[in-house]
Amino acid sequence: MNLKHSILIRKENNPLVEIEDFSCPKNKITFLFGESGIGKTLITKALYGLIDPLELDVTIDNQSYDEYLKSERVNEIQKNSFFVFQEPSSHLNPLIKLIDQLNEGSLNGELEEEKILESLWNGVDKKIISQIMQVYPKPYRPSGGEKQRVLAAMAFKKIEKYIAEDNQANTLFVFDEPTGNLDNRFRNIFLDMLFSRFQRKQFTAIFITHDYSIISEIYQSHPELVESVEFKELSKNKNGLHLSKFESDKYLHWIDSLKKSTSINSEFDEKIFSVNSGIVVFGRKLSFKKENQTKEELVIGKGDVVYLKAGSGVGKTTIAKIIMGLQNSENFSAEIGGLKFDSNSTRKFWRDEIWGKKITMAFQHADEALNLKSKVRDIFKGLPINSADDDDLLKAKLKELFNFDADKTFLNKSISQLSGGQKQKLNLLRCLVLNTDLLILDEPVSGMDFESIQAVITMIEKKSREGKGILLISHNEEIFDSLIPADRIYTLTSE
Amino acid sequence: MKIKFNKKLPEKIFEEKDLLWTLIWLTGMSLLWLWDILFLNAPALDRFETAFFNTFISGLLVILFCALLAYSIGFAFEYLRSRESKVYIALSFITDLIRSIPQIIGVLLGYMILTLLINNDVVSGKAFQLIFISFCISLFVFLEVSDLIRERIQYFKKSDFYSAMLCCGIKESRIINREILLKNSLPHILHKLISVFGITIFLLCSVDFIISVGLSTNVSLSNFPPTLGSLLAKLDSKQDILAIGTVLTDLSYFPKLFFEHLQGVSVAFSIVFSLLCVYKISNGFIKRLD
Repeated sequence: MNLKHSILIRKENNPLVEIEDFSCPKNKITFLFGESGIGKTLITKALYGLIDPLELDVTIDNQSYDEYLKSERVNEIQKNSFFVFQEPSSHLNPLIKLIDQLNEGSLNGELEEEKILESLWNGVDKKIISQIMQVYPKPYRPSGGEKQRVLAAMAFKKIEKYIAEDNQANTLFVFDEPTGNLDNRFRNIFLDMLFSRFQRKQFTAIFITHDYSIISEIYQSHPELVESVEFKELSKNKNGLHLSKFESDKYLHWIDSLKKSTSINSEFDEKIFSVNSGIVVFGRKLSFKKENQTKEELVIGKGDVVYLKAGSGVGKTTIAKIIMGLQNSENFSAEIGGLKFDSNSTRKFWRDEIWGKKITMAFQHADEALNLKSKVRDIFKGLPINSADDDDLLKAKLKELFNFDADKTFLNKSISQLSGGQKQKLNLLRCLVLNTDLLILDEPVSGMDFESIQAVITMIEKKSREGKGILLISHNEEIFDSLIPADRIYTLTSE
Repeated sequence: MKIKFNKKLPEKIFEEKDLLWTLIWLTGMSLLWLWDILFLNAPALDRFETAFFNTFISGLLVILFCALLAYSIGFAFEYLRSRESKVYIALSFITDLIRSIPQIIGVLLGYMILTLLINNDVVSGKAFQLIFISFCISLFVFLEVSDLIRERIQYFKKSDFYSAMLCCGIKESRIINREILLKNSLPHILHKLISVFGITIFLLCSVDFIISVGLSTNVSLSNFPPTLGSLLAKLDSKQDILAIGTVLTDLSYFPKLFFEHLQGVSVAFSIVFSLLCVYKISNGFIKRLD
């Protein structure tokens, strides 16, 4: 049974989400892609019955939200399912221990709790897990990844409960980017746990994610489940939101083509940037390693694209900030185009010699890296380039990345009104337009849809051909492992 | 801040409390003025109009001086702070010294200096005196605006967008002026400046009332530009105010307030009513921008 919903969500008469054909097949897992900020979370919250009717005006299938919430189906869903929030802190109560929250209400009972926790903390000693579970959740502890594991554990307990009951009630398990803070190993463990339970008893689930490499993982590790899952993409067109089937082949073929491509192989043989291993920050020593090799300095040549990867929280962004002079450290030394700098270099040095001249950096979270009170038109203003105030330059660059002719309305749009993916593209564009020798791109494809990811990769290739060095930092290993030759991939380690 | 034209204007005005209270203030003051034209004697009306005008102009001057002082000092602090300059320490000491003096005492000190200048025939023009008084008030009020400006700069300096813009080679002064102050802080600063207008009326009226006892044998209130406070301190206005008390024991006296005691009642009403409206406008303004 394929449930199709028309959903309209408004705030003070302004439509936030308007979609006619949001379908969610029963007893299947739907992987929902789409750029961030487009409305995936809002739609699933509305369907699950989590929207406050006093805050937002919601209409589902032409019935008021009050009527929808009273329906038997919604009550059944709320009773038998679970909603894993994207930001785990918003779910967890800071005044209750994690272990108590894991046993609250309908989650009370064994329900394979120990086994679930051990699987989610694979390789971690039982004692440490039980110590973590005694913690009161605060913003800074446990870590984002640990909080996300706790929410996943709650969801798996609820699934166990559903499996144990002898009925076929309506379910809607929602996982809103449940592995966003986890590295690929733990993401795969999470998927294994989800699919093994799904095979025991089927349920309806929506898995919101920007991580297209999940497709490869399913095809490689769970081919028997390909028929039980759906890949869908939410996109925006002139008529509002549209949900379409995402052809998995499209992604898989693209990844194959990246592996075969040599477009990123540098034709230059000139070193432009190097940074030493053994940088000390927050009492930890950070080092760079190539595959099967010992610690070494990270070197970027002219036209080189170098990929720096590491597990979550090791310090990828910290390294970028140290290079940009935004983070104090010890034992740091680097060289760009013959210009040496180190831990003792002054802020004036970075201001006069580095920022926007030799190196630039695109920050990870576009929402925070852009001034949301600015207009699209202002994005290049103040940059050290000719024609920074020229709308024609901006329009040409926007066309490259956004693939449409930006009109006056778009240029005058406030950045806060753009979707997450659009913001991320603007964030990158501001750096890509500069003529620096080195570009540091921190999670350049995060929050983007597939089309945008492809456009960003094309722009990176173009910059490489222009002879610019690029340092990529990303947890999206599948894309960048395929794109970048192995001898230009470094792993960051911490000791 | 744009007025959306998809809503009817009256509905819009009723929703936006700052617009509503601006309208109420303008209507109230216009009605008072019309009533005074009809029933207040010509010399008293002339005094009231001049006093109201001077007070209003003084309020605007204080806003201007405060904005200039607050911006200069706020920006100077930000510039000097990262350079660990001795000037920074000196500037901190001076601003802390000003902060330690109660505003009303500070303004009284200003009046004393002005009295000395008048006594020594250095100053005679009423316009200069008004500017001098306004500057004195600004000197003891601007720190509220300056603190806000510094607070906003400090807050946004911790944000990623500040660092991200620096990394792109955008000048620090441009980020502070355009991105932080103009685009992210203007509503907050304007809200504070509206409050400054209210503080000015209150300080001016209070100090003028206090100094009605006289500052020297040669200089009295009559030497200064008339303001609502100084008008209220005059004997006939004081009697008008006392008449309001009479109404409490004799209700039949109430209508006489609007004819026989109009000068004092008009002054008192315009002070209280303006302060109330400024307070409401300021609150409505920040609520709308939030």
